[in-house]
Amino acid sequence: MHALQKIVAARAQPARSNAVAGEFLEIEPDIFSVIVSFNATEARHLVANLTDLGVKNLPIKHKIIAFSDHGSPAPSASAAEGHKLWRDFYRAHGVEVIDGGAGISHLVLVERGIAGPGDIVINQDSHAPTVGAIGAFGTSLGGGRMMLYALGRYWIEVPKVVLIKLEGRLRPGVFGRDVALHVNGVLGQQGALGMGLEFAGSYVSEASMDMRFTLCNMGTEMGAVSSYIQPDARTLEWLKPRCKKPFTVFETDADFNYDSTHVIDVGAIEPQVAVPHNCDDVKPVSVVAGRRIDQAYLGSCASGRLEDIATAAAVIKGRKVHPDVRLIITPGSREVLMAATKAGYIDTLHEANAIVTNANCGACPGIHGGILAPGEVAISSSTRNNKGRMGKGAEIYLASPATVVASAIAGCIASPREYF
Amino acid sequence: MKLSGNAWKFTQEDISTDLIRGKAYSHLPAKEQGAHCLEELDAGFAAKAQPGDFIVAGKNFGCGSSTAAHVAVIGLGIGAVIAESLGKLFITNAASAGLWAISCPGIIEFSNAGDKLELDTANWQLRNLTSGKTIKTNSLPEFLREMIELGGEKNYLRARLAREASV
Repeated sequence: MHALQKIVAARAQPARSNAVAGEFLEIEPDIFSVIVSFNATEARHLVANLTDLGVKNLPIKHKIIAFSDHGSPAPSASAAEGHKLWRDFYRAHGVEVIDGGAGISHLVLVERGIAGPGDIVINQDSHAPTVGAIGAFGTSLGGGRMMLYALGRYWIEVPKVVLIKLEGRLRPGVFGRDVALHVNGVLGQQGALGMGLEFAGSYVSEASMDMRFTLCNMGTEMGAVSSYIQPDARTLEWLKPRCKKPFTVFETDADFNYDSTHVIDVGAIEPQVAVPHNCDDVKPVSVVAGRRIDQAYLGSCASGRLEDIATAAAVIKGRKVHPDVRLIITPGSREVLMAATKAGYIDTLHEANAIVTNANCGACPGIHGGILAPGEVAISSSTRNNKGRMGKGAEIYLASPATVVASAIAGCIASPREYF
Repeated sequence: MKLSGNAWKFTQEDISTDLIRGKAYSHLPAKEQGAHCLEELDAGFAAKAQPGDFIVAGKNFGCGSSTAAHVAVIGLGIGAVIAESLGKLFITNAASAGLWAISCPGIIEFSNAGDKLELDTANWQLRNLTSGKTIKTNSLPEFLREMIELGGEKNYLRARLAREASV
């Protein structure tokens, strides 16, 4: 069995020692992460439905945690109304609500040690696989919300698993996000459809936790239900000051059969760009270099961590954002923002005329904090470049934070290689 | 249960939830969302589709964000979504709202636009009433079949809570 399969079996109700790919098991999650949404209609429906079903108390309320990370603080009166209804609902049921400046659930859950290795984290947001970087089973809510509130139960299909072996050393100016984009290009959007996605190999062993989170985050774009990196000494060291609760590190059996295995030499990768409008339409940045941009965005649960901001500051130090471009920096969490401030990165970014926002999902889902106008072009370290995502009629090029900032300086898409 | 409808074909792969229903319409009532269903790919589709019709799609239909794009499909009155393969979140999101979303490798080859299709969820068989051919679809687990047949997650929970209370 794979570690991911063992986690599901361990949390099954009743617990199972064995599980086969394709089986649906009913589980009780360790964490159910929900959103303080801007959708007032959905809140009213849920409240009415739970009342209708006679649900007065939420059986796993102590395991539910609500994040105000999408469009927060509220960018409009209607969003404010939605936020209020959801906050009222959560508070009425004794569910912890994390404030709007704290950051994105996928970062905060692990930074604060709320999620640990071996946990099942059901997340209302689709980038749930991110927490796989600490050896947790993170998967997104697809239906089943009422069941989690009413019964505290959810269903998980025991996944097959695809193995991505990333070998070698990166060239200067190439980062974990370039690797993630490259893998997305190689596997396509169906490369791990409905499956688990494990990252291993010499590059992963040497990669920082920040870059490991970036890799696992992108599992979603390849159709994966969950990502995984086997916890090692680096993981445990990172967890030590954060995760104070007991946890279990699961390991994959030596004789486990992966659905498929892909070996990629990361040393051959140039800085990568996913061009509009598909995340798997990935090319070397040189192919689109010179393309005019209106906005450069650094943030999101894919690439809004301290190392991303450190890279941005290193590239732009002593330089300025091109006058025709808006460079927006949205740290992924308050912890990231505070550390970046302490390290002087935020000052450097301000001096370069970058716009630095509070920590949250920011412009990535197109709700606020950098919405694009029709005809505008953005280079972005965010998660997706679907048509219309950051603004109707706009184009999104996905790239690493280094490429985003190099482009912001140049006023057009540019390789960051000259800075490294 | 058996249901039948005419096929609307969307052969493109990787049709994301954002393409099924633009984010700008997410706050609208289901019926109004339905009027914008898949408009980026076929502007006339929503106006022409009849209640009970089937969406026949290519690989990885409903990929991407977990946003409730199925609401637009239901709002339009679509009876079933049958695709070469489906985004995992879309399958269960749809089931939760009482919509059949079923994978059926070979469906694109098996049906032409406008064909009358009949889905039998008792044996996971799809009959093309126009061509006379049949094909096996992938199955859903029993609890999801029950959920959809009862009309969605709420009715399923009501039945289950009643069952558990009587034990």
